[in-house]
This record gives sequence, structure tokens and C-alpha cells, in this order.
Amino acid sequence: MNLAHIHLLLNHWPIIGAFVGLFLFLVAFLANSDDLKQTSLAFFTLIALLAIPTYFSGDVANEVLKESSTRLPKDLVNTHQGAALLSLVFMELTGGLALIGLWQFSRMSRPAPAPVARWNFTLVLILSIVTAGMMTATGNTGGAIRHPEILSAEDAASAVGAMGSKIVPSVSHFVTASSRWVWPVLETLHFLGLILIVAAIGGLNLRLLGFVKDLPVAPLHRLLPWGIAGLVINIITGILFFVGMPFFYAWNPLFHLKMASIVLAGGTLVVFNCTSAFRSWARLGSGEEPPAVAKFIAASSLMLWLVIIVLGRYLPLTQESLRVGP
Amino acid sequence: MFLSIFQAIEATGLSTWIRESDSIFSFWFILSVHAIGMGVLVGASVLIGLRILGLAPDLPIAPLKRFYRFIWVGFWIQVASGLLLLTGYPTKSLTNPLFYVKLTLIGLALTSMQMLRNRVFADASLSEAAMMAKGRVFAVWALIFWVGAVTAGRLLAYTYTVLTA
Repeated sequence: MNLAHIHLLLNHWPIIGAFVGLFLFLVAFLANSDDLKQTSLAFFTLIALLAIPTYFSGDVANEVLKESSTRLPKDLVNTHQGAALLSLVFMELTGGLALIGLWQFSRMSRPAPAPVARWNFTLVLILSIVTAGMMTATGNTGGAIRHPEILSAEDAASAVGAMGSKIVPSVSHFVTASSRWVWPVLETLHFLGLILIVAAIGGLNLRLLGFVKDLPVAPLHRLLPWGIAGLVINIITGILFFVGMPFFYAWNPLFHLKMASIVLAGGTLVVFNCTSAFRSWARLGSGEEPPAVAKFIAASSLMLWLVIIVLGRYLPLTQESLRVGP
Repeated sequence: MFLSIFQAIEATGLSTWIRESDSIFSFWFILSVHAIGMGVLVGASVLIGLRILGLAPDLPIAPLKRFYRFIWVGFWIQVASGLLLLTGYPTKSLTNPLFYVKLTLIGLALTSMQMLRNRVFADASLSEAAMMAKGRVFAVWALIFWVGAVTAGRLLAYTYTVLTA
């Protein structure tokens, strides 16, 4: 077992997930089933969360493979990385919009079941189709790295492949070398995203923990899209940091912990704050005490977000003092 | 003259400990606390501000006054952690004009939030519509000042010119 296993463990999920999600989404709308619609939206969001560590474990897998006996086709690795980055970004946008769609089902001011807005449906549909296409390219090129038997001559030398191989280097150049201000501006956005997460997701969970009980939960729940927006901003800026300096993060155990915490905290947000299974919590009125389970989940969510902030702040220190990686 | 005072501070045990100690509770811990304090302080302000600006119209405004407690908890976390960070790097911070811009923006943001409290939350006779109308200008400015303060704070790490420790 080494860190390259993580990539193998994760990498089939986002690809298959993008297709399963799209299939569920289409069936849900053909059958006009609200339950299935919500299931497919939650599914997209969870797959989007899993896609994050999948991408971030790729650089380590590549480093480990470089040391193995067979030589890796470098162009193919670069094309795979470019396709993976595009897949990741589109998967995150799909996931963010799907989560807003899921949240729309619980809007209290609309008669139940509140219909999901048409713009959301259209956007999730378009983005998930694009994502599934990107995922196909990612899986194809990724598989070919270790399975030359599936590689045909024109695949390797195609114009698309050549373009794909330039994606990661050019994004990396933009983030780190195009101007000395890109990185600080991205960091500022990352902090503003953090504030939105703390305000909307933290505020809701503070109420579900039993603080500020004068406030009804439902209207706090209405502010959730601001937290979701903060989360998407931070995931996108975070991806750009990683692409800019992959080996500042790739081997760092605190970074691995931070990513695991993000998947957990994000999953908590999706399952407990957005799905219909726990919607009774969002109906708590002014002065009403949340149930013990809600308090436990809210406390866990708040702890996870605090841990994420602290781990993020400690990343530079561990990179310096642990001297992790080759 | 100021520079020699800053350097005298940098020579003290506390300042050196903050900068150089291998303890996990020195520099990066204080910085983590400063980031969490920012989330609490600005997050609570954003929650109040967005509601005053008309978001989540079903959310009753008056009980939002409770979030002022979090603003002050966050504020004192920031003062304590900020003073410790300043003790660690006085020259780096105090020779950077942006540092004073940041402090001014924080002062202006807090003043806007306090004016919102005094003009809107303190007056129990106001209807929600009147609270929103009266509070709007303070909420807008508070949000602008907070974004400015966070940006200035983040950019401090990239704009210092004198580093003696």
C-alpha cells in the first residue's frame, strides 16, 4: 500500500458516477419523480466531492509510477492530466448547481413539493453532459497509460491530445508565473469564500446546535446558497493552487487530512442540510429545540469546518518542517 | 527611531518564540486562530448585512441582534491573535502602509456595524421594512469595508518591504 493506491481506489468513481448521475437525472425527469430528482442531484454533488481527492492523488500516482520499471508515455500522461482537470472543474460546477437545485426543493415559501427551477435543470443537464464527455476522455487516456494494448496510433498523436497536454502547464503558468498578483488575489477569494461558508453553513449549524434559538431554522436555510457559492469558490481556487504548485501539497499528510475533511463536511452538508430525509430539522420554528441527532450532526459539521481552516493554515509549516515527498 | 523600538520588540523572548519556536502552538497556531476569528467576525456581519439588504425575507430581523455577540467574540479573538502576530513581526507590519489601511477599514466596518445596531436594532418600534430601509446604507458600507479589510490583510504577506526578523 502506498499513496498511488489512493488514485486507483478513487479514479473509477467520478467517471462511472458522472454517467450514472446523468442517467438517473434523465429518468427522474422522464418519470417526473421528485424523489428521484433529488436523489440524482445529491448523487452528482457527492460524486463532485469524491472527484477532488481523485484529481489531487494523480500527481502522486504519476511520481510513484515514474520510478517503476516501465517507461510511461509522457504525452499521454499530460493529456490525461489536462482532461482530468477539465473534468474536475466541470464536475465541481455540476455538483455546485445540483446542490442549489437540491436546496430549491426545500424552499419553505413555496408550496410543497417546491419545483426545481427550470434554469437549474437546464444548467445541470448541459454541464453534466459536458462532464460525462470530459470524463470519457479522462478515463480513456488514463487507462491507456497502463494499457498500451487499447491505444491506437491516431489516439496518441491526435490534435485534441496535443491540445489536452497543454492544459495543465498553461493553467499552472497562469497561476504562478503570469503575474505576481494572481496568487494573492486567488488567496483573497479563498478567504472570502471561507467567510461565506462560515456565515451561511456555520450560521445554520449554530442554530441547529441550539444557539440563537429565537431564529426559526427555515429562513436561515434559505441563506444556504451563499454558503454553497463560497464552497464552489473555494474548491475552484483550491484546484488552481494545486495546479500551480502540485508538489507543495501532493505528499503533505495535512493536505490529505484537509481533503478528507472537506469530503466529510461537504457530504454532511449535502445529506443532512439539503436532502428531504432530514427536512424536518429545517421546519423548526422560533424557540424550538433541535433534536439530539441534529445537534450532534451540527456540532460535527462545525468542528469539521474549523479543522479544515486550521489544517489549511498549517500547510506551509508542514511542507517546511516535514520535508515530505521525494 | 521607530525601527529600533521594533527591533527591541523582536529581540524579546515572546517575539522570538512566536516566530521561531518549533511548538505547534506558535506562529501557525496563532495564524489559524486569526483565520477562525475572521470567519466568526466577518461571517456574523455578513449574515446580518445580507438580511438587511433583503435576502431571506422570511428571516425575522430583530433576533439577528444576537449575532452581534458573535461579532464581539470574533473581534476580541482578532485583537488577541493580531497583537501576538504583531509582537512576532512588528517591523514587517508597521513599516507597511497597507497595514494601516487594513486597520482603518476594520475600524470603518465595525463603525458601520455599530451604527446599524444603534439606528436599527436598538429601535424596537421600527417595522421590518423600516429597518431594511434605514439599515441599507450601513449594511452596504459594512460589507464593502469588510471585503476591503480581508483583501488588505491577505495582501500584507506580499507587500512588506522591511523585514528585520
